[in-house]
Amino acid sequence: MVQTATSTDTFQNTSFKVVLPFYIYGALAFLAGTLLLVLTSDSFTHHYFHPHTLATTHAIALGWGTMLILGASHQLVPVLIEGKLYSVKLAAGCFILAATGIPFLVYAFYVFNTGWPARLGGTLINVSILVFLINIAVSIIKSKKENVQAVFIFTAIVWLLMTTLVGLVLVYNFTYPLLSKESLNYLPLHAHMGIVGWFLLMIIGVGSRLIPLFLISKYTNSTLLWVIYALINAGLLLFMCSFLLFSLESVYFLAGGLVITAIPLLAYFCLKSFQLRIRKKVDAQLKISLLSVLMTVVPVLLFIIVIGASLAGRDSTRIILTYGFTIFFGWITTIILGMTFKTLPFIVWNKLYHHQAADGQMPTPKDLFSNRLFQAMATSYLLGFVLFAGGILLANTLALKSGAIVLLLAAFMYNLNVFKICIHQTLKPCV
Amino acid sequence: MYPSNFETMRVITNNLERCSEALTALGKVVDPEIGLNIVDLGLVYELDFDEAARKIYLSMTLTTQFCPMGAAIIDLTKIALETKFPREVIQVELISDPPWTHEMISETGKNFLSK
Repeated sequence: MVQTATSTDTFQNTSFKVVLPFYIYGALAFLAGTLLLVLTSDSFTHHYFHPHTLATTHAIALGWGTMLILGASHQLVPVLIEGKLYSVKLAAGCFILAATGIPFLVYAFYVFNTGWPARLGGTLINVSILVFLINIAVSIIKSKKENVQAVFIFTAIVWLLMTTLVGLVLVYNFTYPLLSKESLNYLPLHAHMGIVGWFLLMIIGVGSRLIPLFLISKYTNSTLLWVIYALINAGLLLFMCSFLLFSLESVYFLAGGLVITAIPLLAYFCLKSFQLRIRKKVDAQLKISLLSVLMTVVPVLLFIIVIGASLAGRDSTRIILTYGFTIFFGWITTIILGMTFKTLPFIVWNKLYHHQAADGQMPTPKDLFSNRLFQAMATSYLLGFVLFAGGILLANTLALKSGAIVLLLAAFMYNLNVFKICIHQTLKPCV
Repeated sequence: MYPSNFETMRVITNNLERCSEALTALGKVVDPEIGLNIVDLGLVYELDFDEAARKIYLSMTLTTQFCPMGAAIIDLTKIALETKFPREVIQVELISDPPWTHEMISETGKNFLSK
């Protein structure tokens, strides 16, 4: 028997004090984002370049999606690379900078003040992401383990930094003509670098490790993951080059086709992991995370319709808005709703109970939140999502308003459960 | 759930009687995500008892080298052995080769997971 002994000291998780603020901030931003949706739902009947739509999109994309993923990454990256996070101080700095910058940027979009609030917010966010990139890059360099997931995550962070840099240039371009065209023209580039480069790569990187892990699946296929990685990056680079250099429709289709090809391959990876699982019982949190993979079909179909409408010379504003909504409030929100309750309870449980003897009094991580509240949240979220998406497509203000209210209710229930976990006190045996 | 049939476990040991006591104690250590104890999961590889040095040496693995609950499982394992054998020094070592595979799960464990 060949044995490789590992020091048990290597399993030092990132301090929960660093990770928890990201989760709490993300939960509050989800509540704020859905509240904005209720207050400004009428703006979704107009063009997507609307101050209120931009404010809501950035509250959700940065405050909710990005902050939660940043928090989870500080916890999960050291686990993936079998090393330690390089610096806890940099992680704290990353949080403070982003947490300060995001409200400035969202406010600036809401009142459409592209002056100092937008510039300050954008700059703080860029510095925050740069700090995050440095922290993760040094952590990866210092670790001995290389794996496909770490490469996915590192590349995703590079794309995030590029997205926020382009965003900052667009903000400055409102006042100083830095670019040859108006900022509005560069929105597709900025949006897709963020959606595909940051969110898609990051979610695949983390999900391809966590989903088989939670299912105890026999399936592993790093070759398939490398193919997915190559398709997405090639598609995005091609789109970027075409957008900035030669703007050829056929190249756009090729770029879109490469990225879209990666989606069924990802679905195949998840399906095989599911089929070859040893653990037959799949909990609600994992089910909703797997549902998010299916939900990628909706924006992909809408993307194809937008291309078709564009070729036919038809107006596709409402479909583009629905496309964006189904990405941020559909695919990204669904996976975060599920994965929050597969990671946060464990982070808190790890802190509170790992030094206690197993005596039967100890709760499991799942006991730290209410499963009934989770089920109610998931139901109202899906109802709100369908109502709001339908409302955008049909330009129906009643559907938009009622969908936004139901989504706000889901965000409220999500917050209740997140705070229930965060304020959990260690259970003491009865005397 | 406690491990029921130690005889079928593939744990290497130099003291069958004390190993049985240790495995009973380790049967209380449950992987918090999976809900199955570490003995039925097949995470325990070797238990050596050094009577002269009053030392217990445990080598174990994790379901994945990336296990986010690794630190907690190791701590709980140490605590379980320290509680059972308060006069002994407990040394826990993680083994990554051979890696854990699903074949290492006991029949009891497989029945538990297939429900």
